[in-house]
Amino acid sequence: MASLETNERRRRVILLGLLTPPTIFLAIFFLAPLAIMVIYSWLEPGLYGGVIWNFYDLNYGRILGWADSKYEKFDLVYLIIFLKSVRLALTTVFISLIICYPAAFWISRMSEGKKNLFLFLITLPFFVSLILRLFAWVLILRPTGFLNQALLGLGIITEPLHIIFTDVAVIIGMTYIFIPFMFLPLYASIEKLDLSLMEASADLGATQFQTFRRVIFPLTLPGIIGGSIIVFIPALGNFIVPSVLGGAKVMMIGNLIEQQFLSARNWPFGSALGMIVMASVLLLLIYYVKIMAREDQMTSAPAVKEVS
Amino acid sequence: MKKHKFAKAALAAVIGLAIPTLAAAEEKLHLYNWGDYINPKVLTKFTEETGIKVSLDTYGTNEEMLAKIQAGASGYDIVFPSVHMHDIMSQLNLLEKTEIGSSPNFKNIDTQFIRASTDPKAEYCLPYAWGNVGIVYNKNKVKEITGWADMFKLAAGGEKIILLDDPRETIAIGHILNGTSVNSTDEAEVVAAAKVIKDNLKNVSAFSYDSIPLVTSGDVAAAHWYVGANIFVQQNPDVLGYIIPKEGATMYQEDMCVLKKAPNKANAKKFMEFYLKPEIAALNVEQQMNGTPNIPAQKLIPKSISGNESIYPPADILSKLQIFVDLGQDLKLYNREWTSIKTAQ
Repeated sequence: MASLETNERRRRVILLGLLTPPTIFLAIFFLAPLAIMVIYSWLEPGLYGGVIWNFYDLNYGRILGWADSKYEKFDLVYLIIFLKSVRLALTTVFISLIICYPAAFWISRMSEGKKNLFLFLITLPFFVSLILRLFAWVLILRPTGFLNQALLGLGIITEPLHIIFTDVAVIIGMTYIFIPFMFLPLYASIEKLDLSLMEASADLGATQFQTFRRVIFPLTLPGIIGGSIIVFIPALGNFIVPSVLGGAKVMMIGNLIEQQFLSARNWPFGSALGMIVMASVLLLLIYYVKIMAREDQMTSAPAVKEVS
Repeated sequence: MKKHKFAKAALAAVIGLAIPTLAAAEEKLHLYNWGDYINPKVLTKFTEETGIKVSLDTYGTNEEMLAKIQAGASGYDIVFPSVHMHDIMSQLNLLEKTEIGSSPNFKNIDTQFIRASTDPKAEYCLPYAWGNVGIVYNKNKVKEITGWADMFKLAAGGEKIILLDDPRETIAIGHILNGTSVNSTDEAEVVAAAKVIKDNLKNVSAFSYDSIPLVTSGDVAAAHWYVGANIFVQQNPDVLGYIIPKEGATMYQEDMCVLKKAPNKANAKKFMEFYLKPEIAALNVEQQMNGTPNIPAQKLIPKSISGNESIYPPADILSKLQIFVDLGQDLKLYNREWTSIKTAQ
C-alpha cells in the first residue's frame, strides 16, 4: 500500500517534470504574443506606430460596423478582403487535394526504396528559399516567360496568356508551396490503408466506386481533413504570394495586416484584423475536433450503422 | 580540490568575457541604410583612411527602419531616413545632436537641402542624397513617353504598366494630374486623387517595386520608378529610358542621422565629416546615379551624370518636383483610399 502511494507520487513528479517545459514554452511563445495581440487590438493607435494606453473599440468598429468618424470609418471592404482570402485559400486546398490524393496512392504502392526517394523529393523544395522559388514562378508565368514560350512554340496559343498578377497566379503559387503540407498527412493515412479491406469489398460485390465511397474515403478522411486544415490556415494568412505573384493587385487579409503594421503605422487595427482571422480559424478547428470525435464513435461502434 | 576547480572555471569564464571586450576595443561603425543606397567603395575608403571597421545592414522602407529602432534594435550608429521620417524621429527623440552644421566643410552643402523642419540648422543630420520618382520605359514597346497621362494612355491602349506598391507615391500621381498638392489632407482631394488611379486600375498590371526586370524583358511597357533606374538605362541604353513626367513628379531626400543610442558616436561623426568631402560624395554618386546636395561634388562627377536632366533637372522642372511631408493622423486617409484602390477591381 505504502509503495503504491510512493509510486503514485513519483509518477506525478515525473509528469510534472515532463509537462513543465512544454507548458512554459507555450506560455512564452504562444500565449504571451497572443495576449499582446488581444490587448493591442483594444487600444488606441499611436501616431507613429506603437499604441496609446486608452481603451478603444473602433479598431473592431472599422471591421464590424460601428465606427463612423473622419479617421475611423466602417468599411465593408475589410470583410470582403477576408472572404476573398477564404475563397483563395479554399481553392488552394481543393487543388492541392486533387493533386496529392492520387499521388499519395501511387507513392504508397511503390517499393520501399523508391518510396523514400519520392518522399525526399516532395520535401526537396524546402531546401531553397521561398522568395527565390516565387521569383522563379514570375519568370515562368510572365508573358515572355517559359510557360508562354512553350505554349506559343507548340502552337497551342497564339497570344501569350496573362497569368502573372492575377488570382490564378496566386492560386498556382500557393498550391505549389502547400503541396508538401497536404501530401504528408494524406500519405500517412493512405499508407496505413489495408489492401485486404478493398479486396473484401470487391469480393462482396461492391463496384470500384462503391469501394471508394464506402471504404477508402472514410478511412482516409482524417488525412484529408488534417491536410486541408494544415494548408488552409497558412494559405488564409499568406501575404508573400499575393505580393509577388499577384503583383500586390490581389490583396489578401495577410497583405492588409502587413500594411497596417508597416506603412499605415496602425498596430491596433492590424491586431484587430489578426484577431478576426484567428477567431475564424479557431471555429474551424473546433468543428474539426467535433468531426474527429464523431469519427471515433463511429469506428468504436461500427455495427449499428452498417447494418441498415 | 573541488573549490579549486570552481575557481579555475570562474577564471576561465572571466577571461572568456574579457576577450570579446578587448576585441570590441577595435574601432567600429554600424550603418543601417536602404538596400543598395551607398557605394561600397565609400565604405572601404573610409576604413582605409581611419581604420574604423564598417558594417552595413539594410532596410526597405522608412517604416520598417522606424519600427525596428522603436522596438529597441540596438547597435546601429547611423540611419538614413527620408526628410519626413527625419522629422518624425526628431519628435520621438531618437536622434543625437552632432553639430554637423558647424563643421567647416558643411559650406559644401547647398542650403536648400536642409529641409527637415525640426532640424533647420542641421544640428542633427546631414543631407545625404536626393532624387525624383518618374517613369522607366521600354523603348521597343513605346517610342517616347512624356508624362503620367501619356503612360495611362499607353496602358489604355493595351500595353502593361506597373505602379509602385506605396500608398503615398501612387496616390501622388492622382494629385499631380489633378493639380493638387501631394501632401493634401483635404478628404475630397485625396478621394479625387485616388479616383484617378481607380479609373485606370484595370490597365495597371501590378503594384510592385520589382519592375525593372519586367520592363527590360518587355513584359511591361512602362513602370513608375525611381531615378536610380538610370543605372539600368546606362547598362541597357537601347532598350530602357527614364523620364521625369512633364506634369510634375515627387522627389525624395534622405538625411544621414546619428541615433541617440548609437554605441560609436565619435566614429559616426567622423563618417559624416568624411562624407562632406566633395570627392567622397562624388564617388557615391558615380555608382548611385542620384543627386547630391554637395555643390563642389557636382563638378567632380562624370558629365554623363551631371548633364543628365532626369537626374539633375533644370530649374523649371525642379520647381515641379514635390517632396512628401509627414501627415500625422491624416495618413489614415491615404491608407483608407489605398485599401479601396486595391479592392476596387
